[in-house]
Amino acid sequence: MKRWLLRRLAQAGITLAIAMVLLFVLMRLAPGDPLSRLGENRPLSPAETEALRVRYGLDQPLLAQFGVFLRGAARGDLGTSIEYGRPVSALVRERLPATILLGGAVLLLNFTIGIWLGVRQAVRRDSVLDRWLTTVSLAGYAMPSFWLGLVLAWLVGVKWRLLPAAGMQDPLLGPDADWGARGADVLRHLVLPALTLSIVSIAATMRYQRTAMLEALALPYVTTARAKGVRESLVRWRHAWRNALFPVLTLFGLWLPVLVTGSVFVESVFAWPGLGSLAAGAVGYRDYPLLMGTSLLISALVVAASLLTDLAYAFLDPRVRLS
Amino acid sequence: MTPVGEALHRAWHTPRGRVSAGILVAIGLVGLFGPPYLPDPLAQPDILAGANLPPGPSHPFGTDQLSRDVLARVVTGARVSLAVAVLAVGLSMTLGAAVGLVAGYWGGGVDAVLMRLVDGALAVPRLFVLLLVLALWERIPVIALIVLIGATGWFGTSRLVRGEVLRLREEAYVSAAEALGARRRRIIFRHLLPNAMGPLLVAATLGVGDVILLEAGLSFLGLGVQPPAPSWGGMVFDARAVLVTAPWAGIFPGLAITLTVLAANLFGDALRDAVDARGR
Amino acid sequence: MTRSRPRTFLGTALTALVLVCPLGAQARDPNTIVIVTGQQATVPVPTLMEGADNNLANLEVADQLFLRLAGFGPSLTTVGERDFVPRLARSWSRQDSLTLVFDLDPRARWHDGVPVTGADVVFTFERARNPAIAPRLADLLRHISSVTAEGERRVVVRFSQPYAEQFYDVVYHVAPLPSHLLMGLTQDELKRSEFVRNPVGNGPYRWVRSVPGQFIELAANKRFFLGRPAVARVFVRIAADPDARINFLLSGEADALENIVPPIANLARIEAARNLRLVPVPSPTVGYLLFNQRAPGDPERPHPILADRSVRRAITLSLDRQALVQSVFGTYAQVPFGPAAPILWIRHNAPAPLGPDPAAAGRLLSAAGWVDRDGDGVLDRDGRPLLLRLNFPNTSAVRGQMALQVQEQLRRVGIAIELQRLEVPVWLERRSGGHFDIDFSSASQDPSPSGLTQSWSCSGGDNVAHYCNARVDTLMERAIRGTGNPADSWHEVLRQIEDDAPATFLYAPSYVHAIDRRFGHVTIRPESSWLELRQWTVERARERPRSGY
Repeated sequence: MKRWLLRRLAQAGITLAIAMVLLFVLMRLAPGDPLSRLGENRPLSPAETEALRVRYGLDQPLLAQFGVFLRGAARGDLGTSIEYGRPVSALVRERLPATILLGGAVLLLNFTIGIWLGVRQAVRRDSVLDRWLTTVSLAGYAMPSFWLGLVLAWLVGVKWRLLPAAGMQDPLLGPDADWGARGADVLRHLVLPALTLSIVSIAATMRYQRTAMLEALALPYVTTARAKGVRESLVRWRHAWRNALFPVLTLFGLWLPVLVTGSVFVESVFAWPGLGSLAAGAVGYRDYPLLMGTSLLISALVVAASLLTDLAYAFLDPRVRLS
Repeated sequence: MTPVGEALHRAWHTPRGRVSAGILVAIGLVGLFGPPYLPDPLAQPDILAGANLPPGPSHPFGTDQLSRDVLARVVTGARVSLAVAVLAVGLSMTLGAAVGLVAGYWGGGVDAVLMRLVDGALAVPRLFVLLLVLALWERIPVIALIVLIGATGWFGTSRLVRGEVLRLREEAYVSAAEALGARRRRIIFRHLLPNAMGPLLVAATLGVGDVILLEAGLSFLGLGVQPPAPSWGGMVFDARAVLVTAPWAGIFPGLAITLTVLAANLFGDALRDAVDARGR
Repeated sequence: MTRSRPRTFLGTALTALVLVCPLGAQARDPNTIVIVTGQQATVPVPTLMEGADNNLANLEVADQLFLRLAGFGPSLTTVGERDFVPRLARSWSRQDSLTLVFDLDPRARWHDGVPVTGADVVFTFERARNPAIAPRLADLLRHISSVTAEGERRVVVRFSQPYAEQFYDVVYHVAPLPSHLLMGLTQDELKRSEFVRNPVGNGPYRWVRSVPGQFIELAANKRFFLGRPAVARVFVRIAADPDARINFLLSGEADALENIVPPIANLARIEAARNLRLVPVPSPTVGYLLFNQRAPGDPERPHPILADRSVRRAITLSLDRQALVQSVFGTYAQVPFGPAAPILWIRHNAPAPLGPDPAAAGRLLSAAGWVDRDGDGVLDRDGRPLLLRLNFPNTSAVRGQMALQVQEQLRRVGIAIELQRLEVPVWLERRSGGHFDIDFSSASQDPSPSGLTQSWSCSGGDNVAHYCNARVDTLMERAIRGTGNPADSWHEVLRQIEDDAPATFLYAPSYVHAIDRRFGHVTIRPESSWLELRQWTVERARERPRSGY
């Protein structure tokens, strides 16, 4: 097992490197000069342009630039953002808590509600509940998340004024407020964006869990367990569900990057200060250092998630041969 | 009849399957043959007095900010949105299934290499890849858009299929078939693929919705289908400004998206049940 | 999981939600104001706002923290020195055609209590005039030859040549920095210093804190020498998305929002919200279709279609510009005469722009040889169709909407327009490289008309379309120098530009701001919206505003 783990870690490193190279190449192929934005209000003289080029290392050959990035990343220095003029690592650090909070809330809702409802649907297949939940989940999944967000923000935030329309904190809550009040404030702001993202992702989780659970429930050894008189809830969760977990696990491994980039729209509608909008802006403005920095973080998260998923596979089903 | 044909036949004979398939076919037909009977979706007859009109006899879906007929645009948009979604998803599913099957069954070095490449590609956020690659074209031809979306959407599916294959490989009937000396290809297509179809079909149906929504997202960031050609996603975004004051401009394309995705998912559902019933 | 567990889980979740909702709905202190903007002010410090940092967000916050020597009068005139109002400088006088003398107000103090002296002004100008430190400012201040202090409160400024806007150049472009805190720091050290994170200024508001990506907090300077502000705290909240901004405003979480139009749909929503009022202000923006007069990518050759003046004039005459403006801005914009934004004082008494005349346009085109010979609806000449590409950035909703209308209107007269919606870096690249037929430009102008030389003089740095008319250059020079009547010279410049038609000038909008009604004595300055915030008063808090429309 340990040897397998070490090998997987090495492979994870290679994966990350491939991802970074791919992104770097694509980034440079795309037309558009990042420095053009700096001259938007007043045209830059050739001397100024050259100075900026040197400052951001853009005058070096591509391979050297990539090397600089890698060496810096190993040190924790992700370069300086062209758009903001500040270190990328500082920008990322500022935005990371908001992203983790939102992503964490959505994952938590998925894990609990999504799994539970999916299992319930499978257990009561073709019942009224099953059909109704199917339609509801499919409708929820079919709605554009940004549209849902807009409607929720307007309805709940503006028209009914039940929750804040946007933002992460109330600025009027002074810096000396206690943790309880601060926490409640952030929680209030978290509800709508998390709900918007969750409605869509829970629907997908439910679908996958239902499918997998249906297949697991039909397995012969489940029937055997029932025949032996094992309690139904035990049959359901201990026997069937362990088999049904696989696609859902994979799903979680895949949801992570989607949550970060998919949340781009939700972050902008709710003015949630996360990484998604930062990264999307970096693409739009060809802010190479910021783009590489945020992508490195996201890619690292994805690679870690896939590693954990494989680990979970192996842990849950010893029959799966780890090649 | 082939397993897939059998499944389709079975799915068609459920109420769910029939209704959803019917909706999809209806949308497709309207999109194909509707436009000549409707006003020009690009015409802006009267910007000052004709903009943002509510639904009425002359404009069943109302008009948008530029006084264009919303119904005409929804119908014309159906062509592009559907074509992109169906073809791109078809491409993704094919690629994903192929890679997932090969990786899962062959195992060993093949599996490792394939999955590492998949991981690498997965690790790069799809949106970024699309944004950067799309930027390479000034006016992206729809075919290129389809290929790009399809080519960037199969990674997750391949992992899903691989997972299923890994599990199925240990099943008794597979080892039995191997012991009997069945050729690998037969095992893959006769035993593994039909049983791995479950997640694949669900992924395909959800994928159709994904792509339509992805196209909408690309319109938001200023890419995808170029103006003035109508697309459902583009219409939803243009209507953001008048969400409250002229909701029809966004509701109808939004409904079109939802209905299409819903129908696709329901049909996939019926299909999955059909495949399931046969396999057990 | 047993049967009851899911139920208790749901129960807990619902209870938590119910508890969270009403909790934390802060009672609003009426003496605070929450302003919403689209961009974060990351470095609101004079001399540091260069390049991408030269943006409205930084300028507006800096205006609260740092006081200028003098402010604009109501007419926004930039010539002479009579129409300005005292700020940091209590009085001034002109010694000769090359020298101005300023006397600082002795009551002025930095937020840490230290008095503002002439040394601060000298220190700041030294940095501002150094092209290695602040290239943009150095360029604007290039006619200043020396800035010296005579005693504690007197500053003498000498110029290298006489011209009409000497005073404007001294007082407008840069506000003084505290030399006692920053002397000895290099520019790089300054950028990384504590001062940038917590600026110390001398203005009506002082810095409290900044939560990155979310908001900035400022507090009233109780000892401000020109009068303590009535609004005690100022919050500047950031929301990049225009929908989020409107929602903040309509839900009552914000009190002030700049520039709510377009979309004009917002007007109805604000008017329905009884607690908000609209304040229109002239904007510094002018939008226009710029015609490339050289071949795209080949500046040696003339543009095959647009080098011909009659074609350009025909395009202008074919467009119903009033309809365009009205459909996007409602009544809050006008068609400009020449490239004059509403903020420019030269707009007063300028001639009226031409109305649409499709018949005249048709005559011009056919006289130039453009006729629809193959019956496809598009005019052609020598086998070449009258097809032009229109570039615009994908971030501008206004230009996106107008481009579609322009395309449609021109299609009706036989001119084919192909829309190119581009990402900003690509659009800028094409623009500065001359790779375009028509560029949908939007200029943000300084209050001084001398900024027009950037785009419309033969050697102007932003003249990407290769427009050149020596007569215009001479006229502009004369106006800037101040010989004769500057207003007349500038109007003549505008007339000549309109005649040459290097561009079709489409819109000169007003910015419409939405402000909560509880604030009185509200003045919005065109050059910097919240400049007069310190004069606002807070009336008695009214009843809870109605829910948003």
